[in-house]
This record gives sequence, structure tokens and C-alpha cells, in this order.
Amino acid sequence: MLELKNLYFTVPKGEGNGVRNIIDGIDFIFEDGKFYAITGPNGSGKTTLAKQIMGINPVSEGEIIFNGTDISALTITERAKYGIAYSFQQPARFKGITFRDLLTIATGIEDEHKLLEIVRRVGICPLSFLDKEVDAKLSGGEIKKIELAVTIATNPKLAIYDEPDTGIDLWTIGPMVNLLKKEMSSGQTTTIVVSHNRAFLEAADVILIIDSGKIVYSGGLEEALPLLEDLSVCTYRNTCEGDHDAECFR
Amino acid sequence: MLNALDKTLLKTVADLEEIPKGAYNIRKNGKLLGRQVSANIDIETNADGTGIVVTIKPGTTNESVHIPVILSQAGLFDVVYNSFIIGDDADVVIIAGCGIHCGTSEPEGHAGIHEFRVGKRAKVVYVEKHYASGEGTGKRTLNPTTKVFLDEGARAEMELTQIGGVDETSRVNEAELEAGSLLLITERVMTDGSQSAISTNNIVLRGAGSSANMISRSVMKGNSRQVLYATIEARNKCFGHIECDAIIMDNGTNETMPALKAFHPDAELTHEASIGKIASDQLTKLMSLGLAYDQAVNRIIQGFLK
Repeated sequence: MLELKNLYFTVPKGEGNGVRNIIDGIDFIFEDGKFYAITGPNGSGKTTLAKQIMGINPVSEGEIIFNGTDISALTITERAKYGIAYSFQQPARFKGITFRDLLTIATGIEDEHKLLEIVRRVGICPLSFLDKEVDAKLSGGEIKKIELAVTIATNPKLAIYDEPDTGIDLWTIGPMVNLLKKEMSSGQTTTIVVSHNRAFLEAADVILIIDSGKIVYSGGLEEALPLLEDLSVCTYRNTCEGDHDAECFR
Repeated sequence: MLNALDKTLLKTVADLEEIPKGAYNIRKNGKLLGRQVSANIDIETNADGTGIVVTIKPGTTNESVHIPVILSQAGLFDVVYNSFIIGDDADVVIIAGCGIHCGTSEPEGHAGIHEFRVGKRAKVVYVEKHYASGEGTGKRTLNPTTKVFLDEGARAEMELTQIGGVDETSRVNEAELEAGSLLLITERVMTDGSQSAISTNNIVLRGAGSSANMISRSVMKGNSRQVLYATIEARNKCFGHIECDAIIMDNGTNETMPALKAFHPDAELTHEASIGKIASDQLTKLMSLGLAYDQAVNRIIQGFLK
């Protein structure tokens, strides 16, 4: 169980202008083995929150409790050892590190057969990917598939996927959703997906809508839809909400 | 014939556990330690006795030549001039390397001038590793020079590595390419402490359809310093690319000067160069897979210099 207690992420606004809360007092409990989709407008704080859970962004105030332990001050490495895994929206590209190397780092497994078994189980990457370098030559879709596969290979207790469908072709999104659901039920993995994609929203047990650093909705998709449409009226409303701005019709 | 120290040096610079199979020439402390020729590969001492001439018959395939040099004698500066004449249509692997063990305060060094003449359509893979070890405070110097002449349709892949322990190095790589030939150079240099390394590269694309790709990977630890000059000069319709990446750790410094010179309207030359610390997204990724910060740094450097 993952519990966020009165969580804040705060940045200075600029000299003498005080602070701005990117995450603005979030309280939420993620139950084990459930599928959560976090959505909301651009810049609302979705990725910031996800990164706080992994320890990439610090906790300014509040607590993150994972399976009874306060992990708020733990490093990324320590959280990884507790079973939290993170799939980046824009995965890192290396020089001289292959998909095989990442799988070995993630799992400690070097045995060829066992590695192939993992790639087969994940299914999303062809076996031929194993010795591909995870470098700038990979396409956006290829690197996302590798990122996803490495995350799944760690058999996490809590898996966070930040926009896993970026760069993925339409035909792969369905199987990807099924894969995450399968992994979730077989490993009792708590799954958090940050996404705007309807396929993930439909697959989720619970939808969280974040706006301006706060959870403005949590529940099923049916009730979320009117709110989502409302939010989509203008993604840039913070900048164009002024009285005279007629540019914003979306 | 080989003592424990020799074996360690050989293992490091030439991946050799024992005396190799096939043609070889092992030089220790400025003297010949062993030599073996094969039906297609001849090794002879050159006319003035300052090095060897390796002659590979045209059409020789699937053969290799090992020519390691090991130095463990204090105060010695060994200079060799080696030539490699690779016959037309041959396809061979040449493994060179220099290992220095310095156990005293006296300086030791090695300068190897390697000249390659690669025949028409011949292919050669050249692997060169430099390494120095030992508890002595004597300065360890390595100054390798590589000159490559590629005839029509020839192809050379050169892997040049200096993995550690060398105090001072001045490396020179020169190449001239005839029509349709291809050169791939990868140079990897890691320095630490107060070491310095200067690498000067000049590649001339002379023939139509020739192409060259030079990759340089540098890691500067401690207060070490590296300077890279990489020049590709195009004199015909050809393609050339330079890729230099330098990772600064601690207080290391780096100067990278890629240069492209086109003297033909159909020349296509490109370069990309970067100097900086390890990218934070790479560190974050590996830490999110359970590596501690230092382990992640080591793993990234290991891959970078692989």
C-alpha cells in the first residue's frame, strides 16, 4: 500500500516572490494490486508527483508511506530496492549499454536463457532487441518498449509508467495495456500509469485527475469523462483566461 | 619464458593467456621474446633492426597476428617502427598492445610507429591497447603513432584504447584513403590523477566514394587533461564523420577540436562533439534499477569506454 500524506513539492517563484506549490497538499491511498491512471492537463503536476514517489523529486513537505515504511527521505536506489520501479516518459539514452545490460542490471540475471525468457514473457520486444544498444539510434517507439520491458523485468511491487504510449504505434497500445494488466494480476503489482490515452483510462480501476497540483477527482471513468472534457476546453487557460484574450477557442 | 608479471601485462593488452596460436611477435624490454610466422603471414626484422615488417599474402583470410610489447625494465624507452603490408583481398585481424610495469622511480616508455598498407579490397581489423601498472613513481610514457594507407576498396577498423596508468601520451593517427575505401577509427582514452593525453588525428579522403568515421571517447578523472585534434580532409566525392564525446569527472579538463576541410564540391563532412559530466538522466535510470550512485557512474563509464 502506498500512502501520500499531505504531500507538497515546492519551488521558488523567483527572487523575493515566495514559493509555488507544484504539488499542492495531496492525500491519497493507492491499494495493492490495483491499476491507477493519473491524468490531467499539461503542467498540472502528474509527472512531478510520479517522480516524487520514485525519489527523483524531493518531498518538500508531507510523507510517502510505502508498505508501512516512511520512504520520503530515501534515495532512488533505496526505493528501487523496496520494489518501486519507474518507466520514464523520455528514457535515458546511453553509449555502450545494451538492452541486455539493462536487464542484467535490473534483475542481476546474466544467464542467456533466463534473459530470453524475460524478453519472451514481456513479449513487447523481439528477441533480436537483446543486443541493441540503448542509444540515440533507437526510434522513440523502440526505446519505450525497452523501457517498459526493463521495468516489468524487475518484478516490482509498485510500477509507475509515465506516458508509456509516447511514440508507440496504435497497434501496440492494446497489447501494452493487456501486458500491464497481466503483470498486475500475476505479480499483485500496484500499477500507476500517467497517461492521456483513453486505452489506459479504460483499463484503470481508479482514475485520478490532477489539476494545479491537487487531486480534483478520483473514481471511475464514467464520472470522470465530463470533468475531463471540461478540462480539455483549454489546456492553456492559465495563460489565456484573461478577459480580452479571444485567441483561445479550444 | 613468460613470468607472472609478463602474463598479466599480456592478458591486459592482448587478451592473451599464453603464447598465442598463429603468427605472433612478442617484444619484451626492447628485445625479441618470441616470433612465429605462418604460411601466409611473414614477420621479419626490418633492415635497420628498429622494428618488424609483417607481410600478409594476398587473399589470406581468417588469420590473426599478435604483436604485443611488454616493458618492465626501469629506465628504458623503447622505440619501434613496425610495418604491415596487407595483400589484396586479405581479411585479417592484428592485435597490438603495450603494457608497462613500472616498479621503480625511473621513467619507462614506449613509442610505436605502426604503418599499414592495406591492399585493394583487403580488410583489416586492428586492435591496440595501452596500459601501465606498477607501484613505482617513474613516469610512464606511451607515444603511439598509426599511419594507414587504404588502397581502392580496402577497409580498416581500428580500435585504439588506452585504459589506464599512462602518465603522458601523445597519440598520432594518420590515414589516407583511396577510392571506395572505408576507415572506422574508435579511440578510447581514460586518464586519472595528473596524467595527460594528446591525440592528433588527420584523415585525408583522397579517392572518390571513400568514407571515414572517427569516434573518440574520453574520460578525465582526477586532475587529468586530454586534448583531441580530429581533422578530416575531403579531396573527392566522399563521406566523413567525426564523433567526439568527453566525460569530465572530478576536476579533469578537456579540449576537443574537430575540424572538417572540404576541397571538393561533393564532399559530405559532419561532426558532433560533446564535453560534459555524465548525463543525470542516465544516472537516475540506473539508480531506479537499484544501483547506488557510484555503481551507476562506474557502469556508465564502463559502457562508454567499451
